[in-house]
Amino acid sequence: MSEKSDIRVLLIDDEETLVEYLSKRLLREGYTVKATFSGEEATEVANNDDFDVAIVDLKMPGMDGVETQKRLKKIQPFLQCVVLTGHGTIDTALESGKKEAFKYLLKPIEYDNLVETINEAYEHKVQLQNARFKDEVEDIYRSGLGARGMKKAMSKLRKIYGIS
Amino acid sequence: MESPETLQAKLKKANEALSEKKEALHRARDYLENVLENSRDMVFRADLDDVLVSFSKGGESALGYTREELSGRKMKDLAEHPHDFESLAVQCLEKKETVREEISFQHKTGRIVYCEVILSPLTNTRGKVIGMAGVCRDITAWKKFKEDLIRVDRLAEVGRIASGIVHELNNPVAVIGEISGWVGSVAGDAEGLSEEDREEIKTSIRHIGEQTQRCRNITHQLLSFVRESKLATSSLDAHELLKETINLLTPELKFTDVEIVYNFLEGPVFINSDKQLLEQVFVNFISNAVYAVKEKGEKRGRITLETFLDDSGDSPMVGIAISDTGVGISRKDQKSIYEYFYSTKPPGKGTGLGLPISRNIIKNLGGSLSLESEPGEGTTFTVRLPVS
Repeated sequence: MSEKSDIRVLLIDDEETLVEYLSKRLLREGYTVKATFSGEEATEVANNDDFDVAIVDLKMPGMDGVETQKRLKKIQPFLQCVVLTGHGTIDTALESGKKEAFKYLLKPIEYDNLVETINEAYEHKVQLQNARFKDEVEDIYRSGLGARGMKKAMSKLRKIYGIS
Repeated sequence: MESPETLQAKLKKANEALSEKKEALHRARDYLENVLENSRDMVFRADLDDVLVSFSKGGESALGYTREELSGRKMKDLAEHPHDFESLAVQCLEKKETVREEISFQHKTGRIVYCEVILSPLTNTRGKVIGMAGVCRDITAWKKFKEDLIRVDRLAEVGRIASGIVHELNNPVAVIGEISGWVGSVAGDAEGLSEEDREEIKTSIRHIGEQTQRCRNITHQLLSFVRESKLATSSLDAHELLKETINLLTPELKFTDVEIVYNFLEGPVFINSDKQLLEQVFVNFISNAVYAVKEKGEKRGRITLETFLDDSGDSPMVGIAISDTGVGISRKDQKSIYEYFYSTKPPGKGTGLGLPISRNIIKNLGGSLSLESEPGEGTTFTVRLPVS
């Protein structure tokens, strides 16, 4: 089991006070948290820093939740998105982003439920990433590179997967 | 001088013309009588004092009186408010023109019949007004239809507004919930706080939590009502659904001295319905029953779930009766329990939405709902749903 401080959470919701208190609570529990208030801001942040789990509000002015999670996935393919939806919009949400999202949560969210979901999403991400990393490491071994080339390829891979 | 022969011939010709005219007149009269007798409208004639001279068959059926009963009576006395008709008659006779007005009459049985009245002055050959002729059309059904339409329209409007408000309310409620959670965790390990104060804060936070939960219940219920989703119907066993519903309510039932009695038909009973919606309906009825039993405060209350088949209507129905031995519903409340936001429970216990929403759901599922209650004895809600 991983430490909570290993889990990097990206919050995206235009309801600023909600994000403020949610991130305070998560920080206090030990998570690493970055709060953003729009899809645009979130994608910008994701270009510079790596995250494990993103909590995305579906309904936001400007870039909506579906579009935001699509872009985030493009930047960080292993990032797991938890989408917050209002009552009655869950059907449309499922249709537009079925494959992308790790889970949908109905608003108003229950905090304990959210924490649990973040932990699950993180475990899921780590598993996916490890499996994929293993595959790629095996590919490198099979590639018949020399010791120097192999070392170079490995460090490149480490960088991609954010493993130091 | 004309010869007798030509005179005779002329006379004969005149006679023939006369009988032809008479024939035409008869035909015209028969035609008019036919129209009068078969018209569903009420056609009448009255003299200058408004005393009825003639009254059509349509009038008899519209107001329930026979012609004999009406002879010699005044038209205005049949109106709900005699003055309404009187002023229309005065207007007609004074202006010597056709007038039109909506006037309500009273049927022999007492119910009100809304009519559109067209009143024209009758004149003799010298142009003197000798009475009035009127045609009344029963527009009660149309009026009711119009009122229903307005009501449905207004309800839809209220629904739209409510949905908007509820969506807007959801966010601040969520924020309040988060802030109180935050305060709770800060107070949980704050230094320099006496244990007493810490407990005090914890309790208050719990109360805030309960109240935000209460807000959520209202908003969720309202939204599930406003939401215009398609019904997801499938064939399901009513017995199984009822048992599942009881399972759902186990936490609520645990703390109540109430016995659940199943009075089911043998074997499964299949209905064609929307499982989720129907579950919501039964949760409502059974929680109400539990509440009624608790309210009465007697030891050993009983809630009976009964199923039966009803073949009396056009299509076979499954009946599901939910009876309790609770406080019952007063006559006065029985009239209002399906109104939105009408609740007899104390503030915080009821939203006043459960029953109207349940009734709406049952209606949408092609079923019907009836209620029997004896104050102090108990209540039975009976749901009828189409057999699958």
